[in-house]
Amino acid sequence: MAYPSQLGLQDATSPIMEELMNFHDHTLMIVFLISSLVLYVITLMLTTKLTHTSTMDAQEVETIWTILPAVILILIALPSLRILYMMDEINNPVLTVKTMGHQWYWSYEYTDYEDLWFDSYMIPTTDLKPGELRLLEVDNRVVLPMELPIRMLISSEDVLHSWAVPSLGLKTDAIKGRLNQATISSNRPGLFYGQCSEICGSNHSFMPIVLELVNLKYFENWSVSMV
Amino acid sequence: MAGTSAGARFYRQIKRHPGLIPMIGFICLGMGSAGLYLLRLALRSPDVCWDRKNNPEPWNRMSPNDQYKFLAVSTDYKKLKKDRPDF
Repeated sequence: MAYPSQLGLQDATSPIMEELMNFHDHTLMIVFLISSLVLYVITLMLTTKLTHTSTMDAQEVETIWTILPAVILILIALPSLRILYMMDEINNPVLTVKTMGHQWYWSYEYTDYEDLWFDSYMIPTTDLKPGELRLLEVDNRVVLPMELPIRMLISSEDVLHSWAVPSLGLKTDAIKGRLNQATISSNRPGLFYGQCSEICGSNHSFMPIVLELVNLKYFENWSVSMV
Repeated sequence: MAGTSAGARFYRQIKRHPGLIPMIGFICLGMGSAGLYLLRLALRSPDVCWDRKNNPEPWNRMSPNDQYKFLAVSTDYKKLKKDRPDF
């Protein structure tokens, strides 16, 4: 989950998110280098008494500062496209879970083996127990087995929503009449929080998502108990 | 008159401003890639129907071993099996 004064990305919980973090580090480094170079040149320009007022021709430096930015952009684009295609790959999920966005809650359906479905509402701030997170906890968490690829099918019953879990690198729009697919593959057990990411009305900020990743045995017991 | 065709004028402009060559090169690279990708989508994508009589719905005839995406990072399409019933 996010913590106060957080500046960076949340810790990665899936292989795709690790790739995204590496890409982010690579791109941010390029951005920092360019920005510091420009800032340095600006300070140099503003702190000199030297002037040169006649027009000049500068073919060499013009060539360099055409080729170099194009090369930098290609160096950013190639890893980006690689990760983009990697996110779409087929990976043989063991389980399919469907989630429908409503105003203003999520509902989940695990219909592979049993007829299990439930709604997931945010816990109001006045009902929180000590230690629980404000505006992030829900009454029924999405329990899933860890270290296994799971297919999420995401859609909506009314307006646009977006199902997002930052630590897994997931954000998929929930569009009425359309079925979008995402893959969850968590490296470790734990609780992973996310929030609705597409404006959907007055309680758009109050429909969070909580994934509870557990081992397979616990997941099987839970799904039997929930039916 | 000789030398006033578009190619000749272009050549003279380039000789006067050789610093423009990288920019023209990158623009051609970018627009060429975009155009070629569009062509690939038009001709190879199973979502596109050109021939309504002989191949009306190509998205119904996809096989698990064909690669439809441009780039496959870690999926070996030869190894995939078809485990769905026929339509």
